[in-house]
Amino acid sequence: MSNAVKIAVGVLALLLIALPWLVNPYVLQVFMLTFTYSMLGLAFALTIKVGLPRFDLAAWFGVGAYSTALLMLKGGFSFWPALLIGGIIAVVLGCLIFVAAMPRGMMVFLMFGMATAMTIYQVFGTVRFFGGWSGTGVVPPPAIGPFTFVNKPELYYLGLFFLTINILVYHFLYNSRIGRAWNAIGSSLKLASSAGIDVVKYRMANVLIGNFFVAVAGGYFVAYSLVAAPANFGFHHSIFVMMYVFVGGLAHSLAGPIIGAFVLTFTPEYFRIAKEYESIITAIVMILIIIFMPMGILGLYDGRIRNRLARIKWLRRESRSEPEVPL
Amino acid sequence: MDAGLFAKVLVNGLMSGGIYALVATGFTLILGVIQVFNFTQGHFYMLGAFVTYAIVSALGLPYPVAILAALLAMAVLGALMYFGILQWTMPSGFFHTLLVTVACGAVISQTSLLTFGFNDRVVPAVVTSSLSIGGISVSGSRLIVIAGAIVVMVALYYFMKTKMGTAMVAAAENRDVAGLQGINAKQIFWITMAVGCGLSGIAGALIVPVLSASVVMGTGMFIRVMMVVLVGGMGSMLGALLAAFIVGIIESFAYQLVGELSLVVIFVLVAILMFFRPGGLLGKPLPVPGE
Repeated sequence: MSNAVKIAVGVLALLLIALPWLVNPYVLQVFMLTFTYSMLGLAFALTIKVGLPRFDLAAWFGVGAYSTALLMLKGGFSFWPALLIGGIIAVVLGCLIFVAAMPRGMMVFLMFGMATAMTIYQVFGTVRFFGGWSGTGVVPPPAIGPFTFVNKPELYYLGLFFLTINILVYHFLYNSRIGRAWNAIGSSLKLASSAGIDVVKYRMANVLIGNFFVAVAGGYFVAYSLVAAPANFGFHHSIFVMMYVFVGGLAHSLAGPIIGAFVLTFTPEYFRIAKEYESIITAIVMILIIIFMPMGILGLYDGRIRNRLARIKWLRRESRSEPEVPL
Repeated sequence: MDAGLFAKVLVNGLMSGGIYALVATGFTLILGVIQVFNFTQGHFYMLGAFVTYAIVSALGLPYPVAILAALLAMAVLGALMYFGILQWTMPSGFFHTLLVTVACGAVISQTSLLTFGFNDRVVPAVVTSSLSIGGISVSGSRLIVIAGAIVVMVALYYFMKTKMGTAMVAAAENRDVAGLQGINAKQIFWITMAVGCGLSGIAGALIVPVLSASVVMGTGMFIRVMMVVLVGGMGSMLGALLAAFIVGIIESFAYQLVGELSLVVIFVLVAILMFFRPGGLLGKPLPVPGE
């Protein structure tokens, strides 16, 4: 991590912590949405690392939201154990569903993921236990002891907390042995398996870790929207997640999805585009971005800005550790 | 279940099987030859239905003309999609092309939602009488759909035997070697897009007198196509054909038993099938793009 990135991350963190004093509650609401979608985008970028595109994220998001909501409503659990159990349900269910599809490669995983997404959506809407198309009843807000998360700033900090934990876990994983194995799988399947990496097992671990955090995002969604309804977990939400990752930049697994989610959530809000035209315009912009800048917004950074930053002396990384060898 | 109901459910299954077969073979063709995951396949099916509705109801032309028009319109749209978008994104890789077709799908579905609204559009049935065999009556318009699907499949079979069809198979097998044999890859690509999307359009045109046209029909169809391709094995057009009828019939009977949850029944069956026949029913694993 170069000094410029460290400074940028520090400033951004301070800004995010101070934000509730700077903006009105409506903007905070949009930020909460952005945090949720960022967690979905991070999971997408996670599986792209092992060469698997996911179209089932909205379904697991829904699984997490429904588990949390129903455990609180019908099971009498409080928010935190319900959230954890929701994550575990998403992992176990994902394990059962993908155990047959995973060894058959990327294409089968992709198609099976799409089928999963639609099927789970249909189950949420049709089975009476889940409350039908109008969703579950109103869920009580999360609480720690006597303190309840009801106001916008509190919920905002809750989301910031979940997103930070998510980023830290992924960052740790990417820099560990597992992450290096994932990178190897992503760059070449044959090479990875000949180096002794069990491709199926590592891919499965990757997908299930993604499932867990997506389910946590679902629980957070329930915490601020206070209801889980099938309309929030439809197929087009999975498509939007994919757009976030590509707009942000495929090469950056952590910053890319977050920047993409931020840009794609705030731009339509800022321009106040009518809801009907929003997805048309987003999709057309998406096509143009893919054609003209295939590496996304951060691709611009990689291509031009990084070199310019490297020329500024005080930002340069101190790399005096290697002694110069006289020839 | 008495014989009359059994025959009715079976004909329904064969009808949806025939439609799934048309859309799924188009999808497999595009995936195999140009290695593009065509997400818009379901949307072209929906547009085909609406083109038929527009020509029959608004222009008052006879139904066969409308079928041809739907075929042509979707073929042109597919070729345009190749020239306008796909050829520029294909060098960026499989995922980028996938996302572009997804974005095209979003544009098509939202635009048609704004144009046509949520209301279903009804095209009058071509044949209102029903066929009676041994005391069991079968709806004539459904039989016409089955017959139409079979005619299109036979036509496709003979098309694949022509020089152009063989060139497509060659390009699917090995693009570089096909190029060395003097096959013009670009021409093959746009013709494949046109044929694949045209198949979707004709499927929509065939189904519209039985089920009315609605803007949400495309997504449901696409998920069935996913199931069909998973059952039939990737890259195998014959497998897709067989699997389409199997999925159609099973879904029809499951619908009779559990209603809307028939999708779940198929999903579970597909998941179980993948344990026992990892290559699908007939398919051999296709060389997967990107791996």
